[in-house]
Amino acid sequence: MNEDKKEDKNEEKKEEKSPAPEPSEEKISPLEECQKQRDEYLAGWQRARADLLNYKKEEMERFEQVLRYAGEEFVLKILPLLDNFNLIESKLPEDLKKDDNVKGIIRLKNQIEDFLRAQGVEEMETAGKKFDPNFHEATEMVEAQGAESGTVLEEIQKGYMINNGVLRPAKVKVVK
Amino acid sequence: MPKILGIDLGTTLSEVAAIINGEPKVLENREGNKLTPSVVSITKTGERLVGVLAKRQQITNPQNTIYSVKRLIGRRYSDAEVQRDKKLLPYEIREKSDGGVEVKMGDKWYSPPEISAMILQKLKQDAEEKLGEKITEAIITCPAYFDDSQRKATKVAGEIAGFVVKRVINEPTAAALAYGLTKKQDQKIVVYDFGGGTFDISVLDISHDTVEVKATGGDTHLGGDDFDQRIMDWLVSEFRKDQGIDLSKDPLALQRIKEAGEKAKIELSTAQETEINLPFVTSDSAGPKHLYYKLSRSKLEELVRDYIDKSIDLVEKTLKETKISPKEINEVILVGGQTRMPAMQEAVKKLFGREPNKSINPDEVVAIGAAVEAGILQGEVKDVLLLDVTPLSLGIETLGQVSTVLITKNTTVPTSKTQIFSTAADSQTSVEIHILQGERPMASDNKTLGRFILDGIPPAPRGLPQVEVTFDIDANGILNVTAKDKATSKTQTIRIEGSTGLSKEEVERMKKEAEIHAAEDKKKQEAIEAKNLADNLIYTTEKTIKETGDKISPDAKKDIEEKVEALKKIKDTDNIEDIKAKTSELSSAIQKVGAELYKQAGGQKAPEGSEGQKPEEGQKPEEGEYKEKK
Repeated sequence: MNEDKKEDKNEEKKEEKSPAPEPSEEKISPLEECQKQRDEYLAGWQRARADLLNYKKEEMERFEQVLRYAGEEFVLKILPLLDNFNLIESKLPEDLKKDDNVKGIIRLKNQIEDFLRAQGVEEMETAGKKFDPNFHEATEMVEAQGAESGTVLEEIQKGYMINNGVLRPAKVKVVK
Repeated sequence: MPKILGIDLGTTLSEVAAIINGEPKVLENREGNKLTPSVVSITKTGERLVGVLAKRQQITNPQNTIYSVKRLIGRRYSDAEVQRDKKLLPYEIREKSDGGVEVKMGDKWYSPPEISAMILQKLKQDAEEKLGEKITEAIITCPAYFDDSQRKATKVAGEIAGFVVKRVINEPTAAALAYGLTKKQDQKIVVYDFGGGTFDISVLDISHDTVEVKATGGDTHLGGDDFDQRIMDWLVSEFRKDQGIDLSKDPLALQRIKEAGEKAKIELSTAQETEINLPFVTSDSAGPKHLYYKLSRSKLEELVRDYIDKSIDLVEKTLKETKISPKEINEVILVGGQTRMPAMQEAVKKLFGREPNKSINPDEVVAIGAAVEAGILQGEVKDVLLLDVTPLSLGIETLGQVSTVLITKNTTVPTSKTQIFSTAADSQTSVEIHILQGERPMASDNKTLGRFILDGIPPAPRGLPQVEVTFDIDANGILNVTAKDKATSKTQTIRIEGSTGLSKEEVERMKKEAEIHAAEDKKKQEAIEAKNLADNLIYTTEKTIKETGDKISPDAKKDIEEKVEALKKIKDTDNIEDIKAKTSELSSAIQKVGAELYKQAGGQKAPEGSEGQKPEEGQKPEEGEYKEKK
């Protein structure tokens, strides 16, 4: 970047501040000038009042949006817990999987999943599907014998839908 | 009137803002995000993707995914920057016949403006959808160090996207506009822009009608991403020390560590300590391994101290070229998400000896500034309509030397607020209005703006008179306080100038003091509320006893009188818990009496002085309580 500064000292180092649009130049009496201003201010005042009233009307809509958004944000924050649970479950050695104590702990995962389902969250199915950036985020391209190019080979992190929209895309390995 | 869009066309991320209801606001894209990745791609099936969708498939399609095209726009192929980036970027770059640059996407070659135009087109469509109207004009920002050719290319990109580009303005100028600093004259401003991948310094000179860039500096390869890398390196090294395993060889683990590190960095801007918890980060023959470390803010600062110091050195170097000293700078503006870091803010503050402007979201300030410029051009944001806020709360002193707020801080002016107060003692015929400014709950800790007395109030039991107090601030920050006795309509008023004209330093100081003393102030407030409650209860109880005479049984009367004495004895002590307890006891006792009387009367009006008049617990004494008469 330092090289650029030495180039071309003539370029735009000064910008003019934008003036507001100029009013027209006709000659008018002080009274007319005053009346013009009065009309302008009254109109401005009415507009501001109307803006406020419209804003209030739109506020209920906004509340609903915010609540929905807050709900989604909250769910997004819970997902990493579920991610870790899924990871733990996948890494458990077989003998531990059969242990009743461990089974009990893994039940917690089901509880979290139930909670999420109640919020309208659905797990995304990715196995064997064609890679689609609307739903998937590619983390790696891998060679895979016998698998169709451009399909999802492995899921690194689950993706979720909420209210028919994508809550979080699935992180996947894609076949080269 | 059709809107003009303000567009921050960034190297990695872009943002759009417009004036909505008189205020600049950042618009979300179709995906619901405020930030749009500056990435364009053509898939194998010939589909064009822009933004987050293009980013998601980047790894599967690196040669046809164009990103960071801002590094190439308006440059000649022979430029050193182009040659350097050619080695780093995975897509093909070649020289155009006129010496310019071309990039390959799919089977076609495109000029950088054409690629930027695709990004701008998406931003345009999403904004039109969001606003429900067609947009034809835009203001696009660019770095202050862009030369004529780069600015022209940026303008062309806008035109290809279907915009009439009203202006291409400098990013630091946009930041200054967002803070309203261009309204002033003879201002020397430094913009400290620490983003994800680049660090830019600009020194601006604002005169009556121009904004001049006196100097620029920085480092095009220093940013928040480097901070994330340091955290990553630290985690990998700690893990290697503790577990003997090198996680840098494991791409999956590294990805998790990178994300966790960035999350921790962000949390440490508000918390003093955070945890990095990655179960099953790897495994060896002994079994699974988990990563768990606590990272403190001070440790993070230690890890990145040299980067922060480097940035300050670069600022000093840039300033030297202008021969302006840091102390001569009037305003400093922080731009870029990384500037949220307290240590960075402190370093900047220390260098310039003043608080930097950081109240506007540093990720949004450039887009907002572009929208402000759009507003000015349209005449939508008239100078006279650029409104101030009152920086500190305004109120009056009430019973117990408490400060009762009428207008809270950051309220837009002009505005007016009215509240009804009353007298504190029987037959009080005058009230003193003591006007206060500040955030502390105790009147003596706030600033006195003025005082006056309203007298001629007809004698009445305490709490009965209605004194209407109105605070009115006009657009120039002039405060008029009026007190009116509703019975007599007698009015007294005072006019105070400059209530919004505090220096930024003073405002910050008062706010900080309020924060520091918050805990002890809260205790004091509780004590006063308890005492006020006790006082009020004693008054109303004694009144009730007097009025109802022998309708109460002598036993009940004695019990109440004893409780009143007990409360009287301790109400002026510091023992809040005891006061609360005795108040509660007396309250139950008098309530029982009230219930009894009600039963006797069989439907007559309940005696005055029952629960209704007591101010709610936790609330400041507002209705019905007032300062003692003079």
